Amino acid sequence: MAINLRKKSKPQAIEAGETGSENADVQGLSQGQIIRRRFFQHKPAVAGLIFMILFTIFVYSASGIHLGTDKQPFNLPGWWPATITDTYDFSGCGSGCPSAAHPFGQDTIGRDYFALVTRGAEISLMVMVVIGSLGGLLGTIMGSVSGFFGGMIDAVLMRFTDFIITIPAILVGAVIGYKAGNLGVLPLALFLGVFSWTGLTRLVRGEFLSLREREFVDAARVAGASNRRIIFKHILPNSVGVIIVSVTLLLSGSILTETGLSYLGFGVVSPDVSLGLLIAQYQDSFNFAPWLFWWPGVIIILIALSINFIGDGLRDAFDPRQRRRIKKKDFLMKASTRDAVNK
Amino acid sequence: MIAYIGRRISIAVLILFGSTFITYNLEAYAGDPLAQYRQSTEQNKAFLIKELTQRLHLDVPPPARYFLWLKGILGIFTGHADFGQTITKLPVMDQVAAAIPTTVRLLTVSTILAIVLGITFGVLSAIRQYSRLDYSLTFLSFFLFSLPIFWVAVLLKEFLAIRFNNFLAHPVIDLWWSIGTAAVLAVILTGFVSGSRKRVLITWGLSFAIFAALLNAISATAWVRNPSIGIIPIGLMGVGIAYGVTHTFAGLSNRKALAAGFTSVGFAVGMYYPFQMLATFNTNYAVVASFALLMIVVSYFIGYFFTKVDRGPVIQTAMITAFLTSFLTIVDKFMQTWKPYYENGAVDGRPIQTQGSLNILLKSNDFWINNLDLLTHIFLPTAALTLISFAGYLRYSRGSLLEVLGMDYIRTARAKGLPEREVILRHAFRNAMIPLTTLVAYDIAGLLGGAIITESIFGWRGMGSLFNEAIQGQDLNLLMGTFSITAFLAVMATLAADLIYSSLDPRIRIRK
Repeated sequence: MAINLRKKSKPQAIEAGETGSENADVQGLSQGQIIRRRFFQHKPAVAGLIFMILFTIFVYSASGIHLGTDKQPFNLPGWWPATITDTYDFSGCGSGCPSAAHPFGQDTIGRDYFALVTRGAEISLMVMVVIGSLGGLLGTIMGSVSGFFGGMIDAVLMRFTDFIITIPAILVGAVIGYKAGNLGVLPLALFLGVFSWTGLTRLVRGEFLSLREREFVDAARVAGASNRRIIFKHILPNSVGVIIVSVTLLLSGSILTETGLSYLGFGVVSPDVSLGLLIAQYQDSFNFAPWLFWWPGVIIILIALSINFIGDGLRDAFDPRQRRRIKKKDFLMKASTRDAVNK
Repeated sequence: MIAYIGRRISIAVLILFGSTFITYNLEAYAGDPLAQYRQSTEQNKAFLIKELTQRLHLDVPPPARYFLWLKGILGIFTGHADFGQTITKLPVMDQVAAAIPTTVRLLTVSTILAIVLGITFGVLSAIRQYSRLDYSLTFLSFFLFSLPIFWVAVLLKEFLAIRFNNFLAHPVIDLWWSIGTAAVLAVILTGFVSGSRKRVLITWGLSFAIFAALLNAISATAWVRNPSIGIIPIGLMGVGIAYGVTHTFAGLSNRKALAAGFTSVGFAVGMYYPFQMLATFNTNYAVVASFALLMIVVSYFIGYFFTKVDRGPVIQTAMITAFLTSFLTIVDKFMQTWKPYYENGAVDGRPIQTQGSLNILLKSNDFWINNLDLLTHIFLPTAALTLISFAGYLRYSRGSLLEVLGMDYIRTARAKGLPEREVILRHAFRNAMIPLTTLVAYDIAGLLGGAIITESIFGWRGMGSLFNEAIQGQDLNLLMGTFSITAFLAVMATLAADLIYSSLDPRIRIRK
């Protein structure tokens, strides 16, 4: 494998701020508009976003909305007639392979797999959103307080973070599983969220540490702004890029956490279903009923992949240092002038 | 500095105290180790309960019981550490001591592979930002990020183990399969080539022809049943490696580096027969290690004596070339062991294993057969773990290098006329790797923690599966035995990462 280093790494040659043409197409736009425009230029991210929206709508409408506990259920049925508990006669081939009545096939006891997968996806999505938003909120608060005030507060909070890092998520899952019994999925997600803010805290803290030394913060302080105002109006908007990006990472990470925990038996437990639980239950079915293996796995990958791409698009959109994707025409022009100089 | 480290260590002790205390109580309140006895219908039920209660001090409330446990642990300072007993009366210490080598063996290989591959491809991806290669690697890394490991494990077991073992019995590659595989491999290889469409197409065509020919030759000669490389192909590959390494680290215009690379290849090839001779006798680790040491020392001096000015790249070239070529020699030796290995009665023609860390039925005195056995067992879990953690290193090193490449001093380096290779290897790469130390420190600390899911799937008795077992069985002492080691290392890794970071990057100073 030959690494072609002779090629001058072209994109770095053009810096966003230096080329006049860069500013021309964003002139007169607000920060939000620029970010939105940059995001929508990132095709994989837009594809991920569209997929996530359609998928969420599809899943929730198909399977309905199921909230509440076992004693006080709140159910809103969806358009898909089959339920996750009823068993049906095997249609199609005898072993329950996909057929018109059961598009995703049937599991080993005859339950409709489409209903199971959509409900599982619904629960996995909910767990993901709860962990992501709770972790994101706590991480932002902890990180900004720690980074802004520094000193003793910072030291204490960071060591507290170290402390939380040492406590493994699997233990949290196990404790809730055994002690709280089958409270349902929501408490599990809440508890996991309470333990998943550590990475974000470090990032936000780092961002605050460098931003609070900047001139615009001094200026705000001289003008008499309170700490609260500086944090919320001056520093936080500047670090929102970092926060959003790592929240998307947290989201895609937490769907994998949920699947891992469910796989080990400490996450979502029967009679609830989640994508991780489905894989765990049917991992041996690869040879005799492959559809039981493929559907949940493929859907987990699609969800995590779209969220990762959305995160990538957001990073590109928020990062002011991000160089514009260079159009071929610009690049050739630049390259030819450079070569002329070299020769 | 010393005061700072002292303060951090004392805080670390406090953190450890806090987290072990919390974990102990969480687990103590979460699970009831007596539950299985309470529901049992055995006659001596009351006796069993009483015995277990006394042995594990279950009558003491958990917060107080924690201090009993702590007292045992603190014996580590007097040389009589007591980690307590498991529910099944085994000393936790022995369990953990047996699990650690297994886990370290499993995770070291995959961590090193992930770091090396991740950084290599990350750097490639960054210096070719927004190229086809970069987009494909980005997609690949996101894809790997999104994989649940147990799902991958099922696929790996099916395709790399079961189907490969079937294939080994009848090693005939179907014509269409070989054409398809060659086409895909050629596309992958072409991804590394940049330039005009014509150049790309020519590369694809050539590599497709070579891969197709190779695959057909492998199929026709049943190579997978009795593989070997041989001295002449090793020599030829060595020459290719020497060119590639020189091109990457010194530039082909650096004739001295190229000559040093060739000399290393010559030396490594010259060592082929002595090594084979040595390896046919009953070898051990010391022999292989001294072979490796010899290669390192000799290639260092080859590089050292070939030039007087700017020795760095020349020595690098010589050493890396020698390393890769002698690696091929060792691979060749393993290949020669392949046939006797899978024909062994204990293996029975199915060499790639999906369960366990070694084959206990395999009774062989041969160093190579035993090590090949370890390799066939470690192959699948390592592949799974590497796939998962490779992506992280790729993204981080790419991002970090891109950030550094935008710095002013890189522009200065380019402006003063340094070749791009020097700019990247000497100015950008080193600085870009600094932030990665944190990641590496955490990963190394995680080595002992084990991989809970992977170890469980592949049936390895490591720290991860021990931890899992402890939680499943509500075995408090076993849980604390594994947890305290993992937590200790995690806390130490934070400290080590901070210290290494500040010593590598002079801009970051620890507050005294």
